[in-house]
Amino acid sequence: MIDPAWGPLLFDASAEGWLMRSRDPAVHDWLAQYLRRHQVNISVMTIVERVRGYALLWQGATEDRRAAIEAARVAYLQQLGRVQVLDAGTAVVAGELMAMLPHPPTPPRRAHRLVESRQDRLARWRFDILIAATALVTRMRLIHNNAEDFETIRGAIERSPDRFPGLGPLELIRCTLVV
Amino acid sequence: MKRSQHRSKDTKRRTTLTLPAHDLQHAERIARSRKVNLSTVVAEALAEGLRVQAAAERSEEVLNAYRQALGGFSDREAMLLDGIVLGPPERRR
Repeated sequence: MIDPAWGPLLFDASAEGWLMRSRDPAVHDWLAQYLRRHQVNISVMTIVERVRGYALLWQGATEDRRAAIEAARVAYLQQLGRVQVLDAGTAVVAGELMAMLPHPPTPPRRAHRLVESRQDRLARWRFDILIAATALVTRMRLIHNNAEDFETIRGAIERSPDRFPGLGPLELIRCTLVV
Repeated sequence: MKRSQHRSKDTKRRTTLTLPAHDLQHAERIARSRKVNLSTVVAEALAEGLRVQAAAERSEEVLNAYRQALGGFSDREAMLLDGIVLGPPERRR
């Protein structure tokens, strides 16, 4: 169990989504307790992922569904919490990581006869590197539900501490373990 | 401009309150032990209570916004909102 007083945490989109969609009352209680103490911190890259998601949903939606999608998008943008922008330090760390880890650690996702394109998988991998770099530079623990990507990044940082002087380790929290 | 807008946060007002006797006795004990007056202890307790209440309200507001932002979507739509773009498989040549 993770003490909700720990924090602030950097929330990956995978963790935000999992925590909000969980049907476990203990998870909702944990999130409520966390929010009484801290703001939600997110990387600016998480906004890119979410807004792209809303836009793609809107493009593929019928006219009567579009209003609900737009309302959801507005609700999201109205409560962003604290947004961590990409600065020079984050860019340096991310560049090092992208050179060390040019390929995603797992193949594109599949679900219901649908598949993620290679380009989208690579883009998502690079987004995750930027988010992990943000956590490292801001010295925040990263809460996520994407162990494959973030554990790979953590491992690379641990194996090459000389490339990340004064930083690290990357501290990860799997959102499924908060309660 | 209204006078109230010039009022500083530390401005004090005299008022009369009816408080639970047990809590009042507790506050008086704390005031004696800290060598401060009762008003100081009650003001601190009130400020802390208001801070907790404001935090709870803010927490509920954020949760409600999250529910509106991320609830009511199918699994596939939720994946898209989490950054995973799925589509029909590309035809291989």
